[in-house]
Amino acid sequence: MERLSLVTEQQVTPEGALGKEAQLPPRAASSPPLPLPSATPRSFLAVRVFHRPRPEAPRTLRAMAAVGSAKVALQVAEVLETIVSCCVGPEGRQVLCTKPTGEVLISRDGGCLLEALHLEHPIARMVVACVSSHLRKTGDGAKTFIIFLCHLLRGLHTITEKEQDSLISKNIQTYRRHWKNCCQWKFISQALLMFQTQILDYIMDHYLSKHFLSIFSSSTKERTLCRSSLELLLEAYFCGRVGRNNHNFISQLMCNYFFKCMACESGFEEVFDLVDDYFVELNVGVTGLPVSDSRIVAGLVLHRDFSVYCPADGDIRIVIVTETIQPLFSTSGSEFILEAQFQTSQFWIMGRTKAIMTHLQSQNVKLLLSSVKQPELVIYYAGLNGISVVECLSPEELSLIQRIMGLSPFILPQASSQYEICNTALVKFCKPLILRSKRYVHLGLISTCSFIPHCIVLCGPVQGLVEQHEDALRGAFKMLRQLFKDLDLNYMIQTSDQNHTSSPLTCKNSRESNPLPESVNGLIQRPYQGTIVKSKGKLAKTQTYLKVCSNLVDPSIELETYTPCSTPKVIPADTYQTDETLRCLSPTKTSIIDDNEPFIESNSANSIAENTRIEISYKNLQVTKIAGRGNILPVREKSLEMCSSQSYYCSILPAGCVLPVGGNFEILLHYYLLNYARKCQQSEETMVSMIIANALLGIPQMLYKSKKGKDSFSQIYIRTLHALQTNQPIVSSQTGLESVAGKYQLLTSVLQCLTKILTIDLVINIKRQPQEMYDQDSEEEV
Amino acid sequence: MSRLEAKKPSLCKSEPLTNERVRATLCVLKGILTSSYGPSGRLKQVHNGLGGCVCTTSQSSALLSNLPVTHPILKILTTSMQNHVSCFSDCGLFMAILCCNLIENVQRLGLTPTTVIKLNQHLLRLCTSYLKSESCACRVLVDFSSPQRLLCLVRSIVTSKPACMLTREETDHISALVLRAFLLTIPENAKDRLILGKSIIVPLKGQRVLDSTVFPGILIEVSEVQLMKILPIKKSDAFKVALFCASLSGDLSDTGDGTVVVSSGVSLENAVLEQLLNLGRQLVSDHVDLVMCQKVIHPSLKQFLSVHRVIAVDRVGVALMEPLSKVTGTQPIGSLGSISPSSYGSVKDLCPAKFGFKHFLHLIPNEATICSLLLCNRNDTAWDELKLTCQTALHVLQLTIKEPYVLLGGGCTETHLAAYIRHKTCNEPESILKDDGCTQTELQLITEAFCSALESVAGSLEHDGGEVLTDMKYGHFWSAQAESPSVVHWPDLLSRCGCGLHNSQEELRWSFLKTTQHPFAPQTCLPHEATGSANNLTLDCFTAKLSGLQVAVETANLILDLSYIIEDKN
Repeated sequence: MERLSLVTEQQVTPEGALGKEAQLPPRAASSPPLPLPSATPRSFLAVRVFHRPRPEAPRTLRAMAAVGSAKVALQVAEVLETIVSCCVGPEGRQVLCTKPTGEVLISRDGGCLLEALHLEHPIARMVVACVSSHLRKTGDGAKTFIIFLCHLLRGLHTITEKEQDSLISKNIQTYRRHWKNCCQWKFISQALLMFQTQILDYIMDHYLSKHFLSIFSSSTKERTLCRSSLELLLEAYFCGRVGRNNHNFISQLMCNYFFKCMACESGFEEVFDLVDDYFVELNVGVTGLPVSDSRIVAGLVLHRDFSVYCPADGDIRIVIVTETIQPLFSTSGSEFILEAQFQTSQFWIMGRTKAIMTHLQSQNVKLLLSSVKQPELVIYYAGLNGISVVECLSPEELSLIQRIMGLSPFILPQASSQYEICNTALVKFCKPLILRSKRYVHLGLISTCSFIPHCIVLCGPVQGLVEQHEDALRGAFKMLRQLFKDLDLNYMIQTSDQNHTSSPLTCKNSRESNPLPESVNGLIQRPYQGTIVKSKGKLAKTQTYLKVCSNLVDPSIELETYTPCSTPKVIPADTYQTDETLRCLSPTKTSIIDDNEPFIESNSANSIAENTRIEISYKNLQVTKIAGRGNILPVREKSLEMCSSQSYYCSILPAGCVLPVGGNFEILLHYYLLNYARKCQQSEETMVSMIIANALLGIPQMLYKSKKGKDSFSQIYIRTLHALQTNQPIVSSQTGLESVAGKYQLLTSVLQCLTKILTIDLVINIKRQPQEMYDQDSEEEV
Repeated sequence: MSRLEAKKPSLCKSEPLTNERVRATLCVLKGILTSSYGPSGRLKQVHNGLGGCVCTTSQSSALLSNLPVTHPILKILTTSMQNHVSCFSDCGLFMAILCCNLIENVQRLGLTPTTVIKLNQHLLRLCTSYLKSESCACRVLVDFSSPQRLLCLVRSIVTSKPACMLTREETDHISALVLRAFLLTIPENAKDRLILGKSIIVPLKGQRVLDSTVFPGILIEVSEVQLMKILPIKKSDAFKVALFCASLSGDLSDTGDGTVVVSSGVSLENAVLEQLLNLGRQLVSDHVDLVMCQKVIHPSLKQFLSVHRVIAVDRVGVALMEPLSKVTGTQPIGSLGSISPSSYGSVKDLCPAKFGFKHFLHLIPNEATICSLLLCNRNDTAWDELKLTCQTALHVLQLTIKEPYVLLGGGCTETHLAAYIRHKTCNEPESILKDDGCTQTELQLITEAFCSALESVAGSLEHDGGEVLTDMKYGHFWSAQAESPSVVHWPDLLSRCGCGLHNSQEELRWSFLKTTQHPFAPQTCLPHEATGSANNLTLDCFTAKLSGLQVAVETANLILDLSYIIEDKN
């Protein structure tokens, strides 16, 4: 029988959770929420985060109760933060990673560092998994992820410490306290999810978007890239990714590369897609030369040498083959019976090969690209006929060439009759290229798409540095690709769950006099008991209504159909004038927000009741989401459209939105979140908003850590806040730009990760080899 | 499923450079490198306790390829040097010593890495732009019409490798040979694009160094028995050559994925052999005199050919194929069927040769850029070192033809550059400081660290405890005998500067390199008559040294920038 031992550890000390070698700073339980202390660097830090189970005891199952996995997670995150924080920002330094094979890699890339650590602690591994999935999407922000997560956890920690002290008396059994804790975590995680799905998008859309700049040069319909803003964007990106003596050079290189590759102003999306897909084929790494020798070469460089090279001038006709040109004795599945005709068959093979090659020559073909190795005979005849041959092209190289030139492979004719070869194309030149005594094939492809082929030759003294630059360039392309996509912002104002306790609403604001239409008022003032049922019914209605909407073809008609549903013309003069270009606001929504302003929650409901309530409202949220999905298509097409159910809004953050670097995004969001939190009635919403707002400040704090005087964090923070309060433009001391979409993605990814951490209540550690997976059915039978 | 093992967690160390052990190992490496530097450098004997041959060397490439390092920082330094050497062959020790010096000097200062790296980069830019500028006083233009300067360059390289164990006479002989071998690879009537040929180094160990020679064409080593069969070679004005890359051994080539059924009574061997003999008949009827094959020739075909007085040489190997096809002017034949007459080539003459105990067949081309350098030395280790030296010299000559400049050697470039940088940053600090937010004090500190790193590279040329000095006019490097009397008249004690350009009787003032230097403006613009007259200069490869300087500073910056090391312990 299996022995099952459950060990419940109430107090997980840092040493217990992180192993002997980890030395964590003693952190006071009640550290102040603001300003957040940054972890001090330690001289020696071993991230042996969790003790590996010994193989001697294979059959024990040990469950470790995570007393607030958040507490453990905080410790884990702090360790990660110390490592990651040394590489953040323009002042960041490099980290050297060695591989077991002996190679060394130089990196400032957070994702790379986290992977290299090979963490063992389950929560750490989960965090790393979250980071890498975030990186796959955006290609940026791994370090900020960790810092932000760490600050969030710190914020949560301080808050729960307080609550525990006040709410729970000491004599309650620890076991019960544990379960109470778990409920509390779950509760917080749900609040976080609410925040992510509703408040964040709302704030982004309403408050933050007026600060956004665009990477495109003009406001015309035709989106043209502005070179100087792209330069600023890339420079800021590379500041955080490559060594500081190289970031200027690399960002210039990338910018030049991009503009050289772009055939026309409008087709830049295709260029990004292509470069991102075929990045490996489009760059050549050379070690032993200084970084400053890196350059861009026109045309495509194939990572192999000619099998035969026959110099030729002028335009060169090429063909691609995917099989051997020389016929073989037998093909797979067939049988070749050899009698006395061995010589004749060999002669026939030679004759045929010769015929094909002479035919290619007569068609003026000068270059043969082959995906397979060709026999010596073919090479010989190619040389005789003045045809250069490149063999063994990888499938990626081949598909890249095909995509650039629109050329399909040459099919060998069955009969040796004369015919025209149709699958040929022209290249401008074809010559060997020698880089550091290694020979490459250099082709001047003539492009048929909006990508003009160019290759980057990256030089560096050691392979590790070349790889770092390669990774950074690749990440930059990913980041840009992300930037040029529109970002959907979906959010809702859940009127129903804010109204559940509402006795008559008091509207104190200036627009009180405006006659609100009955329908809206009715919704708001609906009594508590009926809320859930009614809102469900309403949602169903909305759903059907939306379906009708999406079936409509003409957008103008669609708009017309909207009007009776939403409130007519109550847009107050002072709201969101700056946003006109981005969205047409729902007046309904405005009124709801304003109405909620003076709302004060009178009832402090006990936690269980609250919990269930939120769960219900969460269900509603799901329903609404589904309802919304049917509507997404027409909305996207129209770039900005309010989809008018009272509870569901959908707008778009246009492609190319940027903000100045240096924590601008964070400080702005911090400011608006605090404002929002002040207006909020529900305690958990306020709390979550506050925690997030404060945690956001951790990032600019880290960035300005080394700065003093006028450029110190506190000075910048005060200046920005002052500018925001007085509606002045914000002056940024730094010139770089960063993508808003990336930041938004980062925020949601971190919140998702945090939710995941908080919902875990038990970490089960199994000390034996993983079993092979059987089919579910067979297991049940056993 | 084999054993599934969980990955061990990595070890993470912060601030690696502050670690005492790391500093100590860096110091040891620096000691190894500096003591091997230059013509009077000490030799290192590397022997692996687990086997392999003993290597006696003072060259960076040989030394470090046999010397495994474990610490990641050292690994970066050594791989960076090895990569540099594989690109340029020369200046490997210069690069590594400079890098070590920079790290050591900057470490002492305790400035933040950001400032250090920024300023280092600035100083490097100053250096490179000065070295590339016309006013540079340590750069000499190479005149290809007279070989004197090239010979100086080659001789400097050969003398800087003491492990070759050459006497003065032998050094001169080898230098001249290498230069001749290089000149033979330059095509006579070059069109717009110059394509250099190749010098093949043929080993001949156990002979005197003075027996080394160079020949145009290719020497193919053959056994004595084989040579006896070939002899006597009939005389003619040109020999027709067929060069095969396809195997002539009679094996059946790739038959495809399917099955080949041979019906009874059919002998595949006979059929293949018959085909080979047909080929032989064609070769004979085409009056081919020499058949060479990369792979194996079937004995029957060999026999057939020798009966018809055709010389057959097989197993030439893939390395010789390209030079052979160049020498004979043919294209390797990949077909056993009909051979088009255009694929035959020719050589001017064919003669047997015997050097030492080895027999060769010497192919003398009509006109080709291939030559063979027959290199002799007394023992294996010395030969290996000599071969590396010759390869380095040939490569350096190739680099020089691309960029026809050389730098003054013997430490003079380093000290002159240091003097220039000192003067520049002292007099025009604004140009550097204007966009960086660094203070003037920081700049002065870093400049001092940078310049003294350069100067101590020059200083490591002196191994015998002598004094190292620099003059206050040209900024050249001088070294004096050890045990000099306390009060000396320097012009009597010193004779010539490191590169040999300046004489001590020129009314100069000297100062010790190790003391603090006062900035002075080194005389720029090289006097032309001076370089013309001095014919025994020590010179360095321009391209290699420039790149070495850049790579050294970049690598040092990289190492100084490290804040963590994550070691994967799997």
